[in-house]
Amino acid sequence: MDAFLGERLYSHKYNNGLTAFVLPKKNFNKVFAMYSTRYGSIDSEFIVPGTGEHLKVPEGIAHFLEHKMFEMEYGNVFDKFAELGASSNAFTNYTNTTYLFSATSFFEQNINLLMEFVETPYFTSESVEKEKGIITQELRMYEDEPEWQVLLNLLRCLYHNHPVRIDIGGTVDSIQKIDVDTLYKCYNTFYHPSNMILFVTGCIEPEKVFNLVEKQEAKKNMGVQPPIKRIYPEEPGFINTSASAIRLDVSEPMFLMGFKDTDVGYDGYELLKKELSIGILMEVLFGKSSEMYERLYEKGLIDDRFSFSYEGQKDYGFCTIGGETREPERLHEEILNSISKSRDKGISEEDFKRVKKKFLGDFIQGFNSVEFIATSFVSYYHKNIDIFDYLKALEDVKLEDVMRRLDSFFDFSRHAVSIVMPK
Amino acid sequence: MKDIFTHRTLKNGINLFIHSTDKFKTNTFCIFIHQNLKKETATMTALLPFVLKRGTQNFPTSRHISLYLENLYGADMGGDILKRGERQILQFFLETVNPKYIRGKDIMDDSLNVFKELVLNPVLEDGGFKEAYVEQEKDVLKRSIESLYNDKFNYAIERCFQEMCKDEAFSIYKYGNVEDLEKIDKSNLYSYYLECIYKCPMDFFVLGDVDEDDVACRIEKLFDFHRHAEKTVNSTCFKKEITKEKIVEENQDVNQGKLSMGFRTNTRYGDDDYYALMVYNGILGGGPHSKLFQNVREKAGLAYYAFSKLEKNKGLMLIGCGIDFSNFDRAVGIIKEQLEDIKAGKISNYEFDSTVKSIISSLKETADSPSMIISLYLDGIINGVRESTEDMIKKIQSVSKDDVRKVAQKIELDTIFFLNKK
Repeated sequence: MDAFLGERLYSHKYNNGLTAFVLPKKNFNKVFAMYSTRYGSIDSEFIVPGTGEHLKVPEGIAHFLEHKMFEMEYGNVFDKFAELGASSNAFTNYTNTTYLFSATSFFEQNINLLMEFVETPYFTSESVEKEKGIITQELRMYEDEPEWQVLLNLLRCLYHNHPVRIDIGGTVDSIQKIDVDTLYKCYNTFYHPSNMILFVTGCIEPEKVFNLVEKQEAKKNMGVQPPIKRIYPEEPGFINTSASAIRLDVSEPMFLMGFKDTDVGYDGYELLKKELSIGILMEVLFGKSSEMYERLYEKGLIDDRFSFSYEGQKDYGFCTIGGETREPERLHEEILNSISKSRDKGISEEDFKRVKKKFLGDFIQGFNSVEFIATSFVSYYHKNIDIFDYLKALEDVKLEDVMRRLDSFFDFSRHAVSIVMPK
Repeated sequence: MKDIFTHRTLKNGINLFIHSTDKFKTNTFCIFIHQNLKKETATMTALLPFVLKRGTQNFPTSRHISLYLENLYGADMGGDILKRGERQILQFFLETVNPKYIRGKDIMDDSLNVFKELVLNPVLEDGGFKEAYVEQEKDVLKRSIESLYNDKFNYAIERCFQEMCKDEAFSIYKYGNVEDLEKIDKSNLYSYYLECIYKCPMDFFVLGDVDEDDVACRIEKLFDFHRHAEKTVNSTCFKKEITKEKIVEENQDVNQGKLSMGFRTNTRYGDDDYYALMVYNGILGGGPHSKLFQNVREKAGLAYYAFSKLEKNKGLMLIGCGIDFSNFDRAVGIIKEQLEDIKAGKISNYEFDSTVKSIISSLKETADSPSMIISLYLDGIINGVRESTEDMIKKIQSVSKDDVRKVAQKIELDTIFFLNKK
């Protein structure tokens, strides 16, 4: 592969379907590695490969499984990483579960350990029960985070049936239904190497990684697995409900509005181009250099905490716009007015080019950090996007693409508002 | 030691630190203006970056600045406040893409120029800042200060330190307080700004793919304004007699209890036993291998998170965890047991070795991030300690279990803060 921002990517595909990638960063002190499965909270209904059993599992099980993977027959795998001077962690989102470590020594042993523990399920009823207490506290913590609550409520407004409307961690009630047997079924379905990716970056030689993965995978001797059949409920193009308001113990209202994307069903390069088009569009409309930002700031409706983003997956997509404000209703109106005005006026070539430059710079800046590189690579990979196509796609996005999104994406009938009010 | 930054002093007294490296994709510039943390000035200091980013003489609005920065390939520029011990630091930063990756376009002069504008050329009217900007930003800062309440995790930490250091400067929030905002206007804020710019110690950091002499010359040209004799910044006061441990409870409509415990370690950065304290903190609550994680979370299943951390400039330590309201006594009991165990020297080889390795690893990792390199170096400047990360690693390696046991004897519990339900 060609050098890209001075970086070179190496990859190797194994017989059992696993793909490993290495992006060496010679002058760095650390190695950062991610082992990730294309399995997240939305994968709650599926056909178990082999048996053909149709399974609907409790909400929050992917995240629960992530917690329990750290338990081995010999004890806790955190301890083993600590003995090797590494720090390990994991996270679960809507579409994937990722295990990671960061280390400045014993690189090969750490990679072995990462693979070994993710490939070794070990669950007991006793430890599953104890974990319910820990995860209950994790969920309680999120209940007190207004940013998270306002987003969850927005997704419940936008979606009728799609599981993206459900909290990644499930609920205190739903996790009570989780047991050892179901954990194994989920594990066996989604943790097959062919559904996974290993990404390693930092001061390490690609060959070393590929060789040790070869040995590790040979030990497991796993065959190929047929494609996993995931079942998602039918989701209408229109929204569920247009508004949600709750009260929490906060200092001022928090406002978040979102638009539901109905141009879905594809991934890969086209999805990347869509993400960039909508991203550029939102930056032009709502960014710090926009007329709207200046006006609403002057009016005291927004401040630096105002933000917006687009989240695009193969089967769903939505944007969020909002922040803390004194007058959520007025802010809502103002944003809608700005969108209407922009639609009449269109987007200038100048704005478009300038924002593209910003996107280019931001992306290059991200490459300072091995965490950014790994996280972006892995999440794009799960959407069948090659992150090394980013600059090409940015080049490919034309003003017409952005204009087209301005007409189609911001359909007022497909937007909802979520508000958290002080008690 | 081998300094990674070369140091020069500009004619007007500004310290210029430069580290030339092609390791990163960006060039980073940081200015730190040091000030005593005092109630009378803390809120004014905090308001300055908010007002300055609103506009400069050549870029009269934030929007002008943003448009300009976007054209410079999305250069990041801004200001913020740091609190290190009883020192309040006004920070300005600029990060630009290395020209290598944008077809060699030299954007350094343009970006340094707008950076200088931000710090030295504010919009003025009638001998003060622009009134509309000051009044709007007072409101923004007010709401920012109040919004700490929405972040229960940090709220519980901040409140513990506030209660613990009630009569000390350290209790002042880094963004000041709402009451003092009322006294600020465009004139007194501007006078105060001039004092900061002309009299406070100022450090300028450059880290990136630069030619040292060239960048020094460019900065000297832009920042050669006349300054007065520098004020001295006091060192942080860190010893305090504890008569009795305090317990403070606050009630809010929340779903999880937040427990914070504040300690006086009587050791701070620069002391001989500081590295023993770092190891102590690591064993107690510095990661999944620590006593708090193992016992509060893994064994008792009481919490999702449980940690300890140091404030190295003032010699404080804080323990934090999120628990069910009913488990307050149990959690405090388990935590106190861990403290007693370390005091008695009950430290397993696993706990000790893992901690040492984890500290060494995080020290090595600082070299992979421009902002962390600068931050660690700044800590050295503040505490008058000159040492490289290699020196620090050697000192960590020479800490023994007995050193940890000894430093544990000096640690005293001062205040327990509990955010409880209503």
